[in-house]
Amino acid sequence: MIGPSRVAELDMPAAGIETGAARPAQSYWNESWERLRANRVGMTAGILIVVLAVIALLAPVFTLVTHIEPQAINLDETFLAPGVKHLLGTDDLGRDSLTRLIWGARVTLGVAFLTVAMSLTVGTAVGMLSGYYGGWIDDVLMRLVDMVLSIPAIFLFILMSILFRPNAFTLAAIVASVGWGSVARLVRGEVLSVKQRDFILATRSIGARDTRLMLRHLLPNVLPVLIVAASLGVGQIILIEAALDFLGLGIQPPTPSWGNMLTNSQSYFFHSGFLVAFPGITIFVTVLASNIFGNAIRDAFDPRLKS
Amino acid sequence: MSGDEDPDKGFGQFERFLEEWSRRDFLKRTGGAAAYLAFMAGGAELLAACGGGTPTTTAKKGGHVVEGNFSDIRTLNSMLSSDTASNQVIGLMFDGLLNYKRNGDLIPALAQDLPKASSDGQAYTFKLRSNLKWSDDKPITSDDVKFTYQLAYDPQYKDVNSPRRGDLSKYIKSIDTPDPQTVVINTTQVFAPFLSSHARYGILPKHVLGSLAPAAINTADFNAAPTVCNGAFKFVKWDKGQQVTMARNDNYWAGAPYLDQWIYKVLPDSVAVTNQLKTGEIDIGPVDPSQFDAVKSAENVSVTEFAVPTFTFYAYQLDPAKKGGTLFSDKAVRQALLFALNRTQVVNAVYFGHGSVANSVEPPTSWAYKDKPKVLYSFDKAKAESLLDGAGWAKGADGIRAKGGVKMKFDMITNAGNKQREAMLQVMQQSWKDIGVDATPSLIQFPQLVSQITNIRTFDMFLVGFNFDEDPDQAQLWHSRNTVAGGFNGFDFKNSEVDSILEQAVGTLDRNKRKELYGQFQDVMSDEVPAPIILFNHGIYGVSKRVQGADFGSFNQFASRPWNYKVWVTDGK
Amino acid sequence: MLAKYVARRFLASVVVVLGVTLITLVLMDRTRGTYVPGIDLNPSLRPEDIEHLRANLGLDRPFYVWYLTWMWAVLHGDFGHSMIDGSPVLSHILDRLPNTLELTATAIVIGVLIAIPLGVVGALRHGSKTDHGLTVLSVAGFAVPQFWMGLMLILIFSVTLEQHGLPWLPSSGAFSAFNGGDLLDRLAHLILPATVLSFFYTSIWSRFVRSSMLEVLSQDYIRTARAKGMSERRVVYLHGLRNALIPLITLIGLELPGLVSGGLVVEVVFGWPGIGKLAFERALQYDYTTVMGVTFFATILVIAGNLLADLLYGVLDPRIRYG
Repeated sequence: MIGPSRVAELDMPAAGIETGAARPAQSYWNESWERLRANRVGMTAGILIVVLAVIALLAPVFTLVTHIEPQAINLDETFLAPGVKHLLGTDDLGRDSLTRLIWGARVTLGVAFLTVAMSLTVGTAVGMLSGYYGGWIDDVLMRLVDMVLSIPAIFLFILMSILFRPNAFTLAAIVASVGWGSVARLVRGEVLSVKQRDFILATRSIGARDTRLMLRHLLPNVLPVLIVAASLGVGQIILIEAALDFLGLGIQPPTPSWGNMLTNSQSYFFHSGFLVAFPGITIFVTVLASNIFGNAIRDAFDPRLKS
Repeated sequence: MSGDEDPDKGFGQFERFLEEWSRRDFLKRTGGAAAYLAFMAGGAELLAACGGGTPTTTAKKGGHVVEGNFSDIRTLNSMLSSDTASNQVIGLMFDGLLNYKRNGDLIPALAQDLPKASSDGQAYTFKLRSNLKWSDDKPITSDDVKFTYQLAYDPQYKDVNSPRRGDLSKYIKSIDTPDPQTVVINTTQVFAPFLSSHARYGILPKHVLGSLAPAAINTADFNAAPTVCNGAFKFVKWDKGQQVTMARNDNYWAGAPYLDQWIYKVLPDSVAVTNQLKTGEIDIGPVDPSQFDAVKSAENVSVTEFAVPTFTFYAYQLDPAKKGGTLFSDKAVRQALLFALNRTQVVNAVYFGHGSVANSVEPPTSWAYKDKPKVLYSFDKAKAESLLDGAGWAKGADGIRAKGGVKMKFDMITNAGNKQREAMLQVMQQSWKDIGVDATPSLIQFPQLVSQITNIRTFDMFLVGFNFDEDPDQAQLWHSRNTVAGGFNGFDFKNSEVDSILEQAVGTLDRNKRKELYGQFQDVMSDEVPAPIILFNHGIYGVSKRVQGADFGSFNQFASRPWNYKVWVTDGK
Repeated sequence: MLAKYVARRFLASVVVVLGVTLITLVLMDRTRGTYVPGIDLNPSLRPEDIEHLRANLGLDRPFYVWYLTWMWAVLHGDFGHSMIDGSPVLSHILDRLPNTLELTATAIVIGVLIAIPLGVVGALRHGSKTDHGLTVLSVAGFAVPQFWMGLMLILIFSVTLEQHGLPWLPSSGAFSAFNGGDLLDRLAHLILPATVLSFFYTSIWSRFVRSSMLEVLSQDYIRTARAKGMSERRVVYLHGLRNALIPLITLIGLELPGLVSGGLVVEVVFGWPGIGKLAFERALQYDYTTVMGVTFFATILVIAGNLLADLLYGVLDPRIRYG
């Protein structure tokens, strides 16, 4: 979704359309929330994501308590199987897997949330300007979007990961540098449909300022689409980040991320399978949860697809 | 994108850095270069038991061998190639004048005997074997030899992008061909490593390439599909990105090989080498130390391990104008940091024991190796601390040592994607933290690392691998003239004594005298430690039990292996 | 009107191609430093040799001169020679492209063949346990890193099966090293990578077919058809499915851009000699000419894919008008 997948666009709820009002009615939000709350699987997934995010935030506290640093190596205790001292065992350099997974959550989830935030911000701004003003502004901005969506993203990732040594922040910026394009298209489409409605035309005719109009009237109408895009985006970014780690273009050791932990443990599959299992399961569960949650949100906003 | 993933002197010092280029293993290929590097380390000729073993039954004719590797090849032109993988495939199809035995001694290949040196030591006269034939039945003559070398030394061929031009144009004055079987190479100066470094390039067919304009040789079809060969095998087909298929050359000077085909297959990574050795998809492949046990346990594969002249070292920035220079200019600091490093533990943990801690800058595989130079370094934390204290670096309130207001704090760089190097930097970080030194690892992409070492040189410390040849000359790393831009002495080590020893040692062909000089050299280096060597690597190969006659050793594992034509398979398939 | 639309799109495409290739070159030029592609690794080279080599490669000129020279040659059908191996860039691309097409096309076909029935079943029984099961499966398919799935399949279907003396699948390359290349051999090599790639497609598309079916089935004309007493089977397959599949075709058209980079991870894991892997490896080596050539091709593919998808959409859905 944040990845430039048009699947997302086609699979989007047509938010705002049903309401037809100046902005989605309060009841639309309430109803959506009720629908989401009723979706037990979706809510469980959502809670899991929140819990993981909290764990990620509390990583320094965890280390404060256990006194185990994620990067502390101990060459006398390599490849220890899961046990009392090291709950999830140790890796090839004797580092504690559990500690690294927790700190890795910080990096992996951090990159995911940051990428989503950046893509949405830039994409929304471009999409709104483009859709609202139209004309040459629209032409220029949309050609830019075409360009961004046409570059084989992998070249961009390779070259940018050389230009900016990948840390969580730069990696997010790199992925977002492609991701904003599809968001911009999405938002532009929404804006185009909303701005033709009577209330906008009316507001304009009484001389409301453009910025006020965009922020107060257009943005709320676009919001449901953005929320869905964001919730579906997190899982995808985690996978993109893991793939970049696999290709050697992502987060660089010794900083742990789930992706580089999984990649680094591959060669030890036969003698220490647990090293492969834990980050693998973690990625799977997290992405699964965020996809389920994303779908739940989408369904909540777009009741046509449900029941 | 729609988805979740969108997301050798001899053959060249030039490869050395490239050889180190190994991101994730599969990326080693992208360096085009060799990954062999990852498999080497040095002790004596330990464990030289060889995969194929000695033939117990008479050799059978026919069949094929698939050799796997995770380095892709670039070119099949011996004068253009600069990476080990290409050189290896070229070696199957092209012989040079001379070749290496497994211990690094020179043996004649296309030449009939080892060449005679003139009394002044500046000219070598080679006699070619009689009746040498190209695979198209044309005779191989001294003109072919001259032509091959001209591509890299003769100014009229300066548009040929040969990576050998630097050396060859420096050392070759002229080549004479008094008759079709005699080649006289006149050198510009006495240079002891000349034969060992420059007499093994695959000889190219003048009757095929001679008519091309120099610039056209860079892009000739021949480079990707050599129509004419002189090695044990001849070219059949190159499926780009996947494999090179070669067939028996019946015109080979040592006799036709037993095998019908030799296939070089490119694999995704070192784990794939293990997997495919097990499944029998490949018969021969280099084994990563982390995969040693997995391959060893396979019933159908035997494993051979041997010392190689490849090593991993870290270099201190010694340029006094740079920040690192202010930290490391004092010899005591350099020695202290090395004493603080438990290298035995590094070899065991990072290389799974498949490597040897270095005592000297010369590899144990060398005839010039001195196993007990002046200063020996074993792990000694107390000594490290007392050396630092003595040098005036006292521990501050934060636990970090400082002197004159300057903290002992620096960055260490290496190339991203090489697991072993990444791990070593982390061990160094921790070991030095224990003595109050704050070192931070930093991983950069390989081209950037090369730029740093050869040109930009703003690093405090770098860690890379290097691969020495049979000859003990190491001027390219340590001689002060190579501190110029583009040179490999990027850490700015300038020592007039070392310069003088290195110059004398290549200026004589007397091996005893050379050995003595290199002994002095090793003593000085052990005291100065401008760039300590952490370990010498081991080469490890997995060889299918159906393959006989393979004879891997320290110096005959890469390029033109003199034993290629003797390989045969027990099942004849 | 269609002609004018296509002309406008064409002009926009030219701008996109110029922009994409220029961005790629600038990024390469900015990050390369003093590294000379394939060459700068030789300590025996003197500074003047390096200068000469740089000049031979055209790297002594500013990037915009290099760009204009390159673009001029490309316009004349000359993609130049690789800076790494001297082979023509076009031959590199033409060597690899068929392999990539083979892999991607197979994956797409498998993906469609599985996605449609799954999606239809999900829609027809939506809300049921089957539907929930299928949803979980497709969402799960979306949650596995491709490289990880590939490696697991190799361990199971190649190594483990072989060790137990069972029939096993080859784990890398497009055909067997020795005497390979016949149809059966190629198919055997295709199975694992195509499975990984199609798994991904199946996951997206089955969900897509499901929601699209649901939408169609709630339309008035379906209700009308049912009311008229048409058999449920006819309603679903004749009216429902046909209309629900229109957007899927567009979606598949949109996968064209993914041909180059979409299969990259799978190509890398399975050593598949495709164009994505070529581009990836060469980008790491700063092979300007090859990277620029592939970028050029890839961009054209993306644009063609988008255009095709839009046109198809217009043809299939008469409500869309071009302006």
